Amino acid sequence: MDELHELKKAFQEELGTVAGLEDLQKLKAKFSGRKGKVSAHLKKISALPPEKRSQFGSTLNEIKKFIEKEVIQLEASLKAEVQQKRLQTEFLDISLPGRRQLFGREHPINQVLTEAKDIFISMGFDVEDGPEVETDYYNFEALNIPKDHPARDMQDTFYVSEDIVLRTHTSPVQIRVMEKRTPPLRIIAPGKVYRCDADISHTAMFHQIEGLMVDTAIAFSDLKGVLELFIHRLFGKDTPVRFRPSYFPFTEPSAEVDIGCIFCGGSGCRVCKTTGWLEILGAGMVNPKVFEMVGYKIDQYTGFAFGLGIERIAMLKYSIDDIRLFYENDCRFLSQF
Amino acid sequence: MLVSFDWLKDLVDITAGPEEVADMLTLIGLEVEGSEQLEGDIVFDVNVTPNRPDCLSILGVAREVAAAFRRPLTIPETDMNSTLPASDIRIEILDSDLCNRYTGRSITGVTVGDTPEWIRKRLEKCGIRALNNNIVDITNYVLLELGHPLHAFDADKLEGSIIKVAKAGGSRSIVTLDEIERNLSDATLLIWDAKNPVAIAGIMGGANSGVTSGTRNIFLESAHFEPISVRKSAKALSLRTDSSFRFERGTDIIFLENALNRAAMLIQQVAGGVIHRLVDSYPVKPEYTKIDVSIRRVNEYLGTDMEKGEMIDILERLGIEAEDRGDVLNVKPPAFRKDIMVFVDVVEEIARCYHYTNIPVTAPKTTLSEGVISIKEARIRTMKQAIRATGFTEVLNYSFMSPADLDLLGLPEQDIRRQYVTLKNPLRQEESLLRTSLIPSLMHNVVYNLSRGSNRIGLFELSRIFEHRGEQLPREVLTLGGIYLEGRSSFLWKDTVPPFFVVKGALESLFEEMKCEMYEFTPSTEVFLHSGKAADIYFRKERAGFIGELNPHTIEKMNIKIQQPEIIVFELNVDLLLTVIPETIAYKPIPKYPSIERDIALVLSDNLNAVEILRHLEGFHPDLIERVELFDEYRGKNLPENKKSLAFRIVYRAPDRTLTESEIEPLHNELVTFITGKTGGALRGQ
Repeated sequence: MDELHELKKAFQEELGTVAGLEDLQKLKAKFSGRKGKVSAHLKKISALPPEKRSQFGSTLNEIKKFIEKEVIQLEASLKAEVQQKRLQTEFLDISLPGRRQLFGREHPINQVLTEAKDIFISMGFDVEDGPEVETDYYNFEALNIPKDHPARDMQDTFYVSEDIVLRTHTSPVQIRVMEKRTPPLRIIAPGKVYRCDADISHTAMFHQIEGLMVDTAIAFSDLKGVLELFIHRLFGKDTPVRFRPSYFPFTEPSAEVDIGCIFCGGSGCRVCKTTGWLEILGAGMVNPKVFEMVGYKIDQYTGFAFGLGIERIAMLKYSIDDIRLFYENDCRFLSQF
Repeated sequence: MLVSFDWLKDLVDITAGPEEVADMLTLIGLEVEGSEQLEGDIVFDVNVTPNRPDCLSILGVAREVAAAFRRPLTIPETDMNSTLPASDIRIEILDSDLCNRYTGRSITGVTVGDTPEWIRKRLEKCGIRALNNNIVDITNYVLLELGHPLHAFDADKLEGSIIKVAKAGGSRSIVTLDEIERNLSDATLLIWDAKNPVAIAGIMGGANSGVTSGTRNIFLESAHFEPISVRKSAKALSLRTDSSFRFERGTDIIFLENALNRAAMLIQQVAGGVIHRLVDSYPVKPEYTKIDVSIRRVNEYLGTDMEKGEMIDILERLGIEAEDRGDVLNVKPPAFRKDIMVFVDVVEEIARCYHYTNIPVTAPKTTLSEGVISIKEARIRTMKQAIRATGFTEVLNYSFMSPADLDLLGLPEQDIRRQYVTLKNPLRQEESLLRTSLIPSLMHNVVYNLSRGSNRIGLFELSRIFEHRGEQLPREVLTLGGIYLEGRSSFLWKDTVPPFFVVKGALESLFEEMKCEMYEFTPSTEVFLHSGKAADIYFRKERAGFIGELNPHTIEKMNIKIQQPEIIVFELNVDLLLTVIPETIAYKPIPKYPSIERDIALVLSDNLNAVEILRHLEGFHPDLIERVELFDEYRGKNLPENKKSLAFRIVYRAPDRTLTESEIEPLHNELVTFITGKTGGALRGQ
């Protein structure tokens, strides 16, 4: 039995010398490991006389439990010590900047374009597409702008040849869509358009969204309804909207749509040329002559069309006073949106 | 068109103030774009649309004001004494299709001199320079007042007592009043005396017959010329005048006589002289349009609920006859309203005087449609989002390029990008072609931003390029282009990825986000790219674009200040990309059994292509090798020259059971033997 006593004593002594977790692991292996001292003593049981076996076994078991308990206890306190030490010694200067994920920006024109598209999509409009290099027929003639008509002066056209132009508006998409689809139609056609004109408020390329709705009973009042809803979604529901007569060869009656000046609130300023209103889009009831060009029966269908300039809207939204900024692509400009 | 408020008040009895009048004009379709205070008067800048030539005069605007405010119109006195001396001038119209009517009056014994101040002032307020020739200034005064262009000839300079109206025929020239010799085409309509052309009809008089300070006797012309012919001639001559501007939009064939009389009386009043009897050749009389307008249809068209009486009232105020035939109005527009031809034109007249602002706001009664974003639109949005997520900012450039841009890229003659579309009338030579590549614009963007202090630059553009393939219209290809320049890092946490792989990684992330798996990078031979750092991108064996570092030679031409910058560019045919994206996503079950991983490091010849080795490894036992990852590339210390080490992780997995070490061991050994044999490489460390 003495040897068991010695075993416990030896353990207690060595336990006192443990300085860290590593020592403890060694101690643990030495005493309670598979090849440790407890196991060694256990193997001796069979060599003892039978009457001593029980006593020896139970004492050894107690010592084993004792060792395990002591090890666990010490382990816990040593671990706590280690953790405490880490907490005391490790630290970051949390004021340093993080590793940022660089996220590129969307061009402001496309942001506004997407916003406008989404509003029309939510109203049930499909998005259609057409070529930017167009025939004279689609860009002008089919829209009731014959050659040698004064209305051609309304747009400065880039010519590729006598009969091929850079589209001056997105309206030719109306014709292309009506040629291949029958009413009811509810489409928008966003895209680039071109005019040979460049100054502080004009660039040779800009963006438009064309809209077209055709069915059996579309009225001018519906045009007002749809556009007013659109404008209120884009600029806020308290924005005043004004429709006034204008002229486009492909619509009759035609309208220009103004919004109350968002800079001066309508009292008159430099931006609205003291009128209190800002023109933002052109619209009208589809001219029956256009329906005739695409083979629609003019006594069966009515419809409206509209076209809006995206740059103009973006300029208003972000208070930009020079349209050319959009195409300089200065990173300091683009990063603001 | 500039309109003096004072002058306007001569013609219509206005009680409203100028501001109220301006607002009203805008509301009924004559947009007042601005106004200016001038010498106690107010001058409106009125935007007259091309369909309303009748409003290109003070009288025309006065008519609209009178209709809108229900105020009486005062047209200047134009009735002439019937006992005038006869005129000795005869008129002969040879091309009556181009000149439907020609009238004139001789005025003898006039004194050409200074123009009275009140006429001069009004001319100048309305934007016409006074010439201090009372005869010419009065014709301009009447042009502004009544909208009809007039012309005064020095009668003594006309050969014979005849005015002929005929085309130029043969090639001739005429010196116009501005002392410029004009070459005429056969079709140009001219005014002739017995021998020579004396004016270009409706555009400008000839210098040989003009009124000068010595003129004693004049012949005053007031005629109607066919709009398209005047427009064509004016365009061909590049000569736009106040007169041609009105004729090409259409003038009033009846009222032209009143304008003639008004001018004659003013001339007599200012310059003295005797007015002679009217000479009038009127071969083609105007046809009046009559339009049946259904009351119900007007209301349906506008979404209004107007009474018949209200419509009749509006039309009559506008000088449009409207005969009540029960449910229908029979409408007859006056001669000066040539723009009113069909039902919708009448609807517009009613609508604009009812005021658009009074028309209700309604929701369309139409078939419901789904309002979904199309697949193409959705995919393009995903693509843009993905490329932005990798740090690229979007730019928008003009669709134009310069011939020099193609030389910047150094493209050979037969290159497809030299098949461009050329503009006939570019604003600048640098913008005379349509882009066949987005790269030059992006290079310009980099130059621009570097010179303004930007440092790290990552830009992309999604726009169409235009390939001229000999068809009527060019092929428009939606293209994604990008450019990347790392610059000095201003970040605390440095990244050491070579720029080529930053951009390649961006594209790979993009493809992954778009579920596009069918891509391949192969060495590229684009001339403007660095031959050792460039790849072509293929989708299903079709070339869709390229990525690479710009050739040092190309960069030199950009003229930027940084030493040996590494600029990476890429371009991708998006139309093609969209065709290789799967329509739907099919779910693959998550593996039920664990995998076993084994790493191997191979020492290989430097010129071996990593992707090929990866493919060999993947293909070695597709049933049990789930995937192979390349996780390390090393060159340098501890390796022989011209060798590199590549480390691969092989992931073994069976779909139907847990693999055991003993099963994998021989397989993996076989794999090592296979790959070292295949590549001539060796396991690292052996």
